Amino acid sequence: MTAAPAGPGPDDTTARPDAPQQPTGGPIGRSVPRLHDDRLLRGQGRFTDDIDDGTALHAVVLRSPVAHGRLTRFDAGAARADGRAVLVLGPDEIARHTRPLPTVWRIRGQRQDTIELAPRTVRYAGQPVGLVVAAGRAEAEDVAELVETGYEPLPAVVGTDAALADGAPLVHPEYGGNTAGSARFGDSEDEVERALAGAAHVVTRELGVQRVAYTSLETRALLAEWTPGTEQLTVWAGTQVPHPFRYGLARALRLRVDQVRVAVPDLGGAFGGKTVLHADETLVCLAARLLGRRVAWTEDRAEALTASYQGRGMSATARLGLDADGRFVALDAHITGDVGAFVSQAGTGPFQVAAQAIEGPYRFGRAGASVRAVWTNAVPTGAYRGYGMQEACWIRERLVAEAARELGLPAAELRRRNLIGPEELPYTTRTFSTYDTGDYPRALHSAEQAVADAPRVREGRIRRGAAAVPSIEATGYGPTSLLEAAGMEAGGWESGRIRVNEDGTVTVFAGVVAMGQGIETALAQIVADRLGVPLGLVAVRLGDTDTTPRSEFSSQASRSVVVAGGALMRAGARMRERMHALAASLLETSAEDVRLDVEGEDEPVFRAAKTSRTATWAQVAHRGWLGWGRPDPDRIVLEETVDFDPPGLTYAYAAHAAAVAVDLDTGQITVEGYWAFSDSGPLVNPMIAEGQIAGAVAQGLGIALTEEAALDPSTGLPLTTSLRDYELPAPATVPTALHLSHTSTPGTVAPGGFKGLGEGGMLPAPVVVANAVADAVPEIARRLERTPLSPYRVWTMLRDAGLATG
Amino acid sequence: MTTAARRTVTLTVNGAARSAPAEDRTLLSDFLRHTLRLTGTHVGCEEGVCGACTVLLDGEPVRSCLLLAVQAQGRTVETVEGLADDGRLNALQRTLKETHGLQCGFCTPGVLMSLTAAEREGLDEEETAGQVLAGHRCRCTGYAGIRAAVAARHRAPGGPRQAPRGGGAEAAG
Amino acid sequence: MSLRKGSVVKPPVFEYMAPATVEETVRALARHGARAAPLAGGQSLVPLLNRRRVRPDVVVDLGRVAGLDTVRVADGAVRIGALARLRTLERHETLGAALPVLRQTVRLVAHPQIRTRATLGGSLCHADPAAELPALAVALGARLRLAGAGGERELDAEEFFRPGRTARRPGELLTEITLPLRDGFTHRFVEIPRHAHGGLPLVGVCAGTRREADGTVTAARIAAAGAADRPLRLRGAERALTGGPLTEEAVARALDAAASAAAPPADPHGDAAYRTALLRTALRRALAAAPHPGTDPKERA
Repeated sequence: MTAAPAGPGPDDTTARPDAPQQPTGGPIGRSVPRLHDDRLLRGQGRFTDDIDDGTALHAVVLRSPVAHGRLTRFDAGAARADGRAVLVLGPDEIARHTRPLPTVWRIRGQRQDTIELAPRTVRYAGQPVGLVVAAGRAEAEDVAELVETGYEPLPAVVGTDAALADGAPLVHPEYGGNTAGSARFGDSEDEVERALAGAAHVVTRELGVQRVAYTSLETRALLAEWTPGTEQLTVWAGTQVPHPFRYGLARALRLRVDQVRVAVPDLGGAFGGKTVLHADETLVCLAARLLGRRVAWTEDRAEALTASYQGRGMSATARLGLDADGRFVALDAHITGDVGAFVSQAGTGPFQVAAQAIEGPYRFGRAGASVRAVWTNAVPTGAYRGYGMQEACWIRERLVAEAARELGLPAAELRRRNLIGPEELPYTTRTFSTYDTGDYPRALHSAEQAVADAPRVREGRIRRGAAAVPSIEATGYGPTSLLEAAGMEAGGWESGRIRVNEDGTVTVFAGVVAMGQGIETALAQIVADRLGVPLGLVAVRLGDTDTTPRSEFSSQASRSVVVAGGALMRAGARMRERMHALAASLLETSAEDVRLDVEGEDEPVFRAAKTSRTATWAQVAHRGWLGWGRPDPDRIVLEETVDFDPPGLTYAYAAHAAAVAVDLDTGQITVEGYWAFSDSGPLVNPMIAEGQIAGAVAQGLGIALTEEAALDPSTGLPLTTSLRDYELPAPATVPTALHLSHTSTPGTVAPGGFKGLGEGGMLPAPVVVANAVADAVPEIARRLERTPLSPYRVWTMLRDAGLATG
Repeated sequence: MTTAARRTVTLTVNGAARSAPAEDRTLLSDFLRHTLRLTGTHVGCEEGVCGACTVLLDGEPVRSCLLLAVQAQGRTVETVEGLADDGRLNALQRTLKETHGLQCGFCTPGVLMSLTAAEREGLDEEETAGQVLAGHRCRCTGYAGIRAAVAARHRAPGGPRQAPRGGGAEAAG
Repeated sequence: MSLRKGSVVKPPVFEYMAPATVEETVRALARHGARAAPLAGGQSLVPLLNRRRVRPDVVVDLGRVAGLDTVRVADGAVRIGALARLRTLERHETLGAALPVLRQTVRLVAHPQIRTRATLGGSLCHADPAAELPALAVALGARLRLAGAGGERELDAEEFFRPGRTARRPGELLTEITLPLRDGFTHRFVEIPRHAHGGLPLVGVCAGTRREADGTVTAARIAAAGAADRPLRLRGAERALTGGPLTEEAVARALDAAASAAAPPADPHGDAAYRTALLRTALRRALAAAPHPGTDPKERA
């Protein structure tokens, strides 16, 4: 693994606080070990389920066992009569005490604008209908078994094809159809049709990406405490978004937001699954409030696989038109998104982003995508790492590979003719994305070179092939004005606060959260770098609505370093200026005469060049809090807070390559080598960045090969309720030949030129594997339209192609 | 049957004798986490697949979610809390940190216990990175950093076979 | 499977017993009959308990029963106590030399962290039709000794495994498994899991052949996992191979015979046609892996 930064020269001056970062000897750009690792390694992490000291009651969520039905009977008599029941809540009590949850992002035409907590009409297997509380989890399960329920079954709508068929049963009869809403991005259908009609060659495919379960190793968990005297609800929750979580809870429980505190302990992974408040989480808080007690709930794995929202669930009819020279004259996609039983807080978002991101790094004469969001009797979908962009990459790069195959052109040549060149940037696409900086052909060339000598074997029972594809990731969501225009009730800004304490230590507050991605370390590096102090002086506080800045998006959408880091870049520059001014006042010289010297991890010292007088960083901080010698009579508190609303999105990019083997006798695919060439601008911590990319690639291989949250096509009941059936990538899924390298082209949007990278590693992974399989077995290339490429599916294609015998 | 039988479970955990009441049905993972408050052992699936709850029972790696606490009566259990010496990371823990072998840290305690047993047993790198790691699921790292840690331990002077055997904290040094 | 009305992940209430002798165990099992669940390694039972898919009144822990975990190699057979842990069998050098296919097969089962607890007897009694060890037991012609209130009986593996269940009666305890050492036989177990990197087994084949120096197969014993509702002895394939050399034609006849005997299940991981194709592949690979007679005496089993 290598990190090869490139770009403009060093900048460490307060005059240009936003300049791109280069290794300056400061902490930015260094692979320092992560600040939290020691306690995690000692087993002293503090995850939500670790907090209870034995005083909390435990909740079990009662759930629908049917995919669609009316709850006709909810008899808690026997359960309540059991001495161990502390509380049993059914739909009627829940309705009496709550309001529905708000939605956040409604697609055009969407009339469903709230999320019911425990409706009597259930629309997916696993939907909450009640809650049981007892002294322990096992006892709560015992009591839950005593609740008697009855359902009048309704026909289940499984999959969007069934939902859109004539005469399909309606998931929400009150809306008159199963379409929740629709939208068009880019050129109009008419314009794209005209361009396609004039194309020399058109490739059409039905492309899909399966439903997937987040499967963070730590499931969702909650500890809620209601203090009757002060009427305060304190919630320790495994969430990526403490502020929206608080807002939703306050709305649902009819509280003021300042009655609710949401604090985020250590998070055992999230991947988008913890970006919204779920109904079951709300019910646990309701129980705490009704009981005036602490109530704990930790989702079990079956719930995580079936009742937590899911990701993806998309199919598309996609067409690519090319002229006689192989230039892309038109791209069209009609995307059907499976939102499930109801549109979750941002449930249509991934499909809209897929449409928005349909073009990737290519030029098209015309391009547009339509989205139709469809209700089905499945658990709702929502944000999942790669958010629409992985789906777009799948659609686009399957089409490109198939076009090359049909035209008999090398795919590399076809891509080269259509890639946006570095000289064309900034470039605005047909869907109005403006790419800022980069060199997409260079990245793709590196990936192609990586597999140039990879084995291609087209005979025998083990075939081998390889492929390379480029990708683009929109990062740093986002300009608030863009979100407003998209009808999304969310601000895209972040606030960063730096406090220099009276002992010289530095406390940083940001609205993003740590979920294993190492953001606390990256932010500490940024602040230490900007202030010019050793990393050891800096502590980072995240994820507490009582103390950390309000944030809508918090840590998702590959934005933490870009937006929160951007705010702290600026706050750091300001704080550095203030500390220098205070030091100058103490040393009786001008701020320009003062230099801050740091020797290793020793305490930094201010030195006046003219007089050689010195004062330690801590002395200056201490006097600052006393208010002594302050240059500005109105400013005492040694805090700097900067709100940063990014002026645009900033586009990271990559090209990935894979070499695969396909066993014609079993349909099994082995990824034998994998290469990722990424550019996310300057890296704050290359070690962490590589970890993010490696993890994202593995998650992408899961989509490519093993993971699918499948439903029984007739009953709508989940088929994958256990990790035995929902198969995560195993160590052997990820090749040991995993090669990661970086270039660093600074972006123009965020201070420091940073671009995001939390998700980019998974965008090309499924399609580069599929394209490599197509290279190995061109006989089945046409049919590689959906993931996962499970051995059974691949073998079926091989058999149909006459390559495998039954 | 609604009344759960309870009995006192006595065992040695990280070198210290511990004794506490447990229901017959209480899982060892819950007994360690909620009764003994050793929350370093994590629970990820309660069906033996993910490996996060792996502890050492009489020196052997086992899924604590697939054992009843009463089955550990009189036995010796080692958990992640016993690895560091007076708060100082042991060599395996340090290596995992250096190779970025953890992200969210949820699977990490189980991985550490399996690798500890593998080192004591003297398993080679192939067996460790193959058979032993196959018993764990990590959603964050793509296993790259964990495999790098295994490789680094096998390259280290003295190698992983130096890992001490025992029921308690690692000897200093 | 269907969801329960409430999620469950903790065992239901039961009474735990840990008898110290076979006699006590048999008495306890006899007393509670079908309401008792014998707990061996627990690697199959406890996941079922955690999700409350089994609800015994009594769990009888076999882990403290003396003398049930011995391994003896003598008199042309291997005798293994039902409570012997798979990890122990994997490490047992005498056993590994006497019956290499046992170690090879055990290493295909789950992971080391499961094998430290899982037992041979537990795996055979759980009798998952796709599991490795029941098929191995059938291929090797294992004898299973059962102790009950009325005394002991011994069954052939093929009698023990019944469609969807075993011949073990409530109240009976599997105490010992005898694996005959068949002179001149070499065995291979080939498994095809759900994915190239592993996962649960879909199909497995244990193929044993005895061959003359000229390559003539004089005897064959073959069994498959995942090919039916129980581990399946593939007699037709055995017959197709016996009496001549392992020619392509003979192998092809054996594959056809195996395929026609198979009645595999269908689920989202594969229909019957796919599993039958995997059975052919596994058998072909198992036969191809068999060393030529005389080349590798250590591999004899």
